[in-house]
Amino acid sequence: MGDVMSEQSSKEGVLANPTRRTVLAFGAAAASTVVTIRPALAQTVGSVMNCEIPVPGPQHSGQYIAADGSLVAPGTPGSFAPPARPITGEEAKTLLRGGLTPNGMDSQSAQAYANYIRRLQSGMSGFTCYASLQLPR
Amino acid sequence: MAGAIYIADEPGAVRAVALDGLVALFHAPSGMTHIVAPPAPQILEALQQGPADARTLLERIAEVYEIEEGGAEAIESRLAELETAGLVRRA
Repeated sequence: MGDVMSEQSSKEGVLANPTRRTVLAFGAAAASTVVTIRPALAQTVGSVMNCEIPVPGPQHSGQYIAADGSLVAPGTPGSFAPPARPITGEEAKTLLRGGLTPNGMDSQSAQAYANYIRRLQSGMSGFTCYASLQLPR
Repeated sequence: MAGAIYIADEPGAVRAVALDGLVALFHAPSGMTHIVAPPAPQILEALQQGPADARTLLERIAEVYEIEEGGAEAIESRLAELETAGLVRRA
């Protein structure tokens, strides 16, 4: 934001060099200079609950999930086969809070999936969905 | 132009971050974030000197900036936008 106060304190200098004054366009009456970003969840609560987290992401398709959420080779002892379908945002939210296991999944696998989801980082499939679950309601 | 008198929140209510020609404003009282382009930041700055109508605001801004032709008409629209966004209100 231009600093009006300091600009004014140097007003004399500015006026002495009128060509240096910044021209401020006020735009057309129909133009808009304000874009409002509303609190994310107010707008996206529907989509958040409908978003999906693939476990694992497509780039790691076929890998198993260890109990700590890391990805391991298929068949690694103590690891779990990926779920048959992505976990929805609503399911992830419940699962991460220690609640119900998503339909069709056993609780041990679900815990591994939950740990996988917790380890998601920016750029990974499902991260945006996971991040949106963290937003306060 | 004996229009409405506008006021803005105290500077502490709004956090501003310059974004390469635009300014991101976080309006704490409403929790809203706004991206504003000139002349919106200049109008808000000018309002920090105290409540004013559109004409007075133009005079304040003209002390610092060269105002492009048509500014007198357009400032009403800009104020209306800022009012809709909740960044200014009528006194």
